Amino acid sequence: MSDTTGAASPGRIVVDGRPIPYQAGDSVAVAVMRCGEHPKHGGTICLGGDCPNCSAIVDGVPYVRTCQTAATPGLVVRRHPAAGNPSFPAVAQPDITRSPVADHVDVRRETADIVVIGAGPSGAAAADAARAEGHEVMVLDARDSNEVVAIYGGPTVIVRRPNGMLHVHAHQVVVATGAAEIHPVCPGNNLRGIITARAAEQLHDAGVDLGNAVAIGTPPQGVPCTAVAGRIVRFEGTDTISAVVTMGDDGLEVTTPCITVIVGLGFAPRDMLSRMSGGLPVSVVGQAAEKFPLPPCPTAGTVCPCSRVEVEDLEGVWARGFHELELVKRASLCGTGTCQGGVCGPHLRSFVADRSGEVPEMFTARPASRQITLAEASADTYTDVFRRSPLHDEHLALGGQLDRFGGWWRPWNYGDHIAEYWAVREAVSLGDVSTLGKLVVSGPDAVELLERLYPTTVADIRPGRSRYVLLLNERGHLIDDGMICRETETRFVLTFTSGGAANAEMWVRDWAETWGLRVHVLDRTMSLAAINVTGPLASQLLQRVGLVDPPKFLQHRHDIVAGVPCHVMRLSFTGEASFELHHAVDRSVELWRALMEAGQDLGIKPHGLQALFGLRLEKGHVIVGMDSELDSTPRRLDMDWAVKMDKPDFLGKSALVRTAELPDHRRLFGFTMQGNAPTEGSPIWSDGNVVGHVASSFSSPLLGHAVMLGWLKHTPVPEQVQIDGRTASVAHPPFYDPEGRRARA
Amino acid sequence: MPALETLHGLRVVASPAVLDTALWPDNATVLRLAPDDVFAIGATAEQAAHATAADPDAIIADESGFVGCWLDAGQLETVATHIEWHLPTQRPALAQGYVAGVPAKLWLDTDRALLLCASPYAADLIERLK
Amino acid sequence: MNEFVETLLEMQWHEPKSSYDVVIIGGGGHGLATAYYLATRHGITNVAVIEANYIGSGNSGRNTTIIRANYGIPESVRFYQHSLELYAGLEDETGCWIMHATKGLLWMAHTETGMRAERARALINTACGAETHVVGPQEIKQICPQIDLTGNGRYPVLGASYHVGAATARHDRVVWAYAQGAMQRGVTVLQHTKVTGLLRDGERVVGVQTDRGPISAGIVMSAVGGNVTKIAEHAEVRLPVRTHALQAFVTNAYGLDFPGIISDSELSCYVSQTPRGQMLIGAEFEPQPSYSMQSTFNSLASCAKKITNCLPFLRDLRVLRQWTGICDVSADFSPIMGFTGVDGFVISTGWGTWGFKGIPAGGEQMAELIATGKTPDLIAPFALDRFANDHSMADLGSAGTR
Repeated sequence: MSDTTGAASPGRIVVDGRPIPYQAGDSVAVAVMRCGEHPKHGGTICLGGDCPNCSAIVDGVPYVRTCQTAATPGLVVRRHPAAGNPSFPAVAQPDITRSPVADHVDVRRETADIVVIGAGPSGAAAADAARAEGHEVMVLDARDSNEVVAIYGGPTVIVRRPNGMLHVHAHQVVVATGAAEIHPVCPGNNLRGIITARAAEQLHDAGVDLGNAVAIGTPPQGVPCTAVAGRIVRFEGTDTISAVVTMGDDGLEVTTPCITVIVGLGFAPRDMLSRMSGGLPVSVVGQAAEKFPLPPCPTAGTVCPCSRVEVEDLEGVWARGFHELELVKRASLCGTGTCQGGVCGPHLRSFVADRSGEVPEMFTARPASRQITLAEASADTYTDVFRRSPLHDEHLALGGQLDRFGGWWRPWNYGDHIAEYWAVREAVSLGDVSTLGKLVVSGPDAVELLERLYPTTVADIRPGRSRYVLLLNERGHLIDDGMICRETETRFVLTFTSGGAANAEMWVRDWAETWGLRVHVLDRTMSLAAINVTGPLASQLLQRVGLVDPPKFLQHRHDIVAGVPCHVMRLSFTGEASFELHHAVDRSVELWRALMEAGQDLGIKPHGLQALFGLRLEKGHVIVGMDSELDSTPRRLDMDWAVKMDKPDFLGKSALVRTAELPDHRRLFGFTMQGNAPTEGSPIWSDGNVVGHVASSFSSPLLGHAVMLGWLKHTPVPEQVQIDGRTASVAHPPFYDPEGRRARA
Repeated sequence: MPALETLHGLRVVASPAVLDTALWPDNATVLRLAPDDVFAIGATAEQAAHATAADPDAIIADESGFVGCWLDAGQLETVATHIEWHLPTQRPALAQGYVAGVPAKLWLDTDRALLLCASPYAADLIERLK
Repeated sequence: MNEFVETLLEMQWHEPKSSYDVVIIGGGGHGLATAYYLATRHGITNVAVIEANYIGSGNSGRNTTIIRANYGIPESVRFYQHSLELYAGLEDETGCWIMHATKGLLWMAHTETGMRAERARALINTACGAETHVVGPQEIKQICPQIDLTGNGRYPVLGASYHVGAATARHDRVVWAYAQGAMQRGVTVLQHTKVTGLLRDGERVVGVQTDRGPISAGIVMSAVGGNVTKIAEHAEVRLPVRTHALQAFVTNAYGLDFPGIISDSELSCYVSQTPRGQMLIGAEFEPQPSYSMQSTFNSLASCAKKITNCLPFLRDLRVLRQWTGICDVSADFSPIMGFTGVDGFVISTGWGTWGFKGIPAGGEQMAELIATGKTPDLIAPFALDRFANDHSMADLGSAGTR
């Protein structure tokens, strides 16, 4: 085939390193064929976007159907290897992990009452009819560079366009995609020089000379060619066709020399989009909805050009007992390639119909009908948001190593977690606990709500006092912990862990509504920052910045600290006297700096989570989700003291009543061991068996040995176990200040 | 994109019926975040207490946890390309949902719009709208 | 004939009978493996496997073909390690080519919390027989040069656990290997037969009612996937199982240049390359329960976005096909195997998104349970009554991506 128009070319594309001129309006496939080349290496060309036989690597992206790609100046096309798969897209040096293609893909989002897919006669008629009824209609056709990729729930129509993606939200979709042409299946059908009748018409219209062309079946319109009667037996030639062998009703083979064979073998509905839209408001019109006769059962040749499946392969799987369409498909891989059965489907159905005596339905269609890259699929999609405390930049300025915990950036350490540890134990330290969950609950039924939510008694907490609480689910399993601070008879502030904060408001509101209780709930998690001032000198520091009379242990009040209004809560997680200062996020930097400044001569340092995890471990405080498991009851955590089973009811009580009677072999214990802390997660051994694992561990600078919390899941509980090849003793935390004098000091 | 700045106002949680009929000063921008939840930008505690006097258990709290910026029509159009959902057509209106994958809100006034999000999300929102 | 076809062994279909010693509902991997082991290990061949569609049409034919044992609790590690070892010997045992390939699995971490989980995973895995090491970024880059260690500047790779024995096998061919082996020994497989009820004699289950008539059985086993609760309901067995959709997709086929298997808890996705060269990418199951098999664009978009953070070369690969399976997810994310409390009715369920890797051990152990009437030690921790006894097999270490 070659160009006969002689028209001036608007530009050139580069094919396999060779510049090739094209004509205005050419697709890449047409431009390539104009030069007498085949865009792949052989096989029937349909130019309808239905088959894989013109796919190539276009601008670095393999498997692009070149018949659906407009030729544009400088477009770089490489053909797939003749055998085997294309390589992964080339990546730019020196970083081989970087993608060479432009990073940004535009997404447009539009709406339409009715989307009509296909602008042919049936599509145009459907669009006209819908418009006449006053509907807003959008018509999408691949020939106008609107490749419909898939129809999803909504219905949402995903469209690929040369300049980006289009997502259309519609009320109804009409599939009017017409019909695809049947490809020949016979020996030699992988040669070059076979084109469908429609492809011949397109090429002829584009001025491509088809040379000595022979037409079999329904001939193309207006294309000079020699019609040959009969059915195709085989194509002959090496690489390129030299002749076609046909057989008429007389049973005699006729060989016709030629360089192009134009096949008009009938049609199959182009119905992949409608087949993937089950249950959606999608209708099918025109040829896409028609039932065409199947081609004759294939006897030899390539059935599936994508997966290179031959008729003998189908025969092979049938002979092995794979006796239905889906099994034949899966066993032979016929129909599992780029065109997803577009070419082989009718032949495969015909084969199964011949063998089984029943015409099978076509196999299931799934997205994608036309293909998109992962970049196109994920365009304008975002992954998780990472949250920043208002002190983010303060931490960075202090050398903080920030890491993400539960979606927040938090300081892991400030370079030396042991120094941070000693600042807490011996002086004073600041911790950013802005990430804690914080809820205000107010209303006449607030006490009733909290009594039902928490396993602790709430009514006896006096205003100005607070209490540590567990939060259990209906199964009696620990889901969070925190503090209850009573402000007035009807108003409370609740705190939750950073990890539990996201669910806290929902949990409280859902139960309040379930029980019909009159309360108001306000989530303050992201409105209030919090700084934990902890250490033996914490009170002294706070007095310096204006908190004349810091609250006593488990008291709380609203006061001014360094000029900033704060809700001051006295508690302790580190084991030392600790004051949480909850305050407005926009005042946080000011407060932090004032505290750091005022504590300079006291040896103040901020501490990160690494130090905090060790400090609390010395006290034996459990971190929910780190030490507890999905099914940890208070009993298993040795925290029965935090549950008042004599309360009338609370969430999880009935489960705890039931499970209290059951034998239990799972307990969280403390362990001590000489030497450094073993890796968290280390198995715990006894008598050569794994009997549990270390949940948390820390090399205690103060105690000079390792302290741990860990699970033993066997009874009886041994006194000594092996961890990390060493002997460890079962111990009962706290490992430090068991009477809690320092926290109350 | 204009810089995101702290929005000072009041958070008022009260019974929906009370909030339905509450009267706010003209200079306040009042965002009804939920049936029982109002963010009144530019209102004072006295005004909030007056507005919700019928609900003795109302929670009234200073709110500085949101950052935001005012957008003109052109800027709103740019931001809208990062929104998967349909913007309401009536004005004024409050819309809440993901903007560039970040939980955010839009107060759509007649000729301008306020884009706001909780301050911990600000850095990612700015980065994504660049 | 291509190698893929040439190596398939013949299926011998048998005519249905009205009565069997054992009837297994569900012709997926677990049901067929149980039949296979009943026949090969216990000489029990008067067995029927009843499948509503065609064999392997459920989750056995929809999974991402990963075989691994790197779970978070000893009981699970031991079970899946045994399964992994049975897989490794399955081609020799059955003579069927399942395209088994040991590849190793990198489970990446981007935060200290993530590293903590991977260190714990490596230790508990190795202690229970599944070799797993912690590897640093440079080793990761050596194992998989395509990884962007900066995670697109957002998810820096701090390290990973490397599960040495992880493998993949062609899912369909595993189903066929067991089907072929079972049928060769006389097991009947009935396709396109729907179980509509259970036959009862008092409390006892004595057979199944199907849309083609009743079939009596000495014992009935449910090896049903996403619809398991509907089958169990016929025996008045309530299961702590919810059904969730799980989506996956493949790209076109490329040269075999991607080593191993990559998994990522924070990004909740996993990827490997099939022997045909396709990149097979999966995600976590959808949070809301559903029986719908409709794929969603959100799932494709978000999974594609996540995986390309660490593997940017995937951006230019084209999506070939996206699909959905419905998974039976138990309350503690571990399978449920064994007796149900109803005589004559046993189950293998709760296979969630980890069913494929458990096929050989699940089938072998359930066959032993049926043949001996006793629960084998390996699966005793997975009994249904663990929920009533508050001894769940919750596995936090694997609660992210499975």
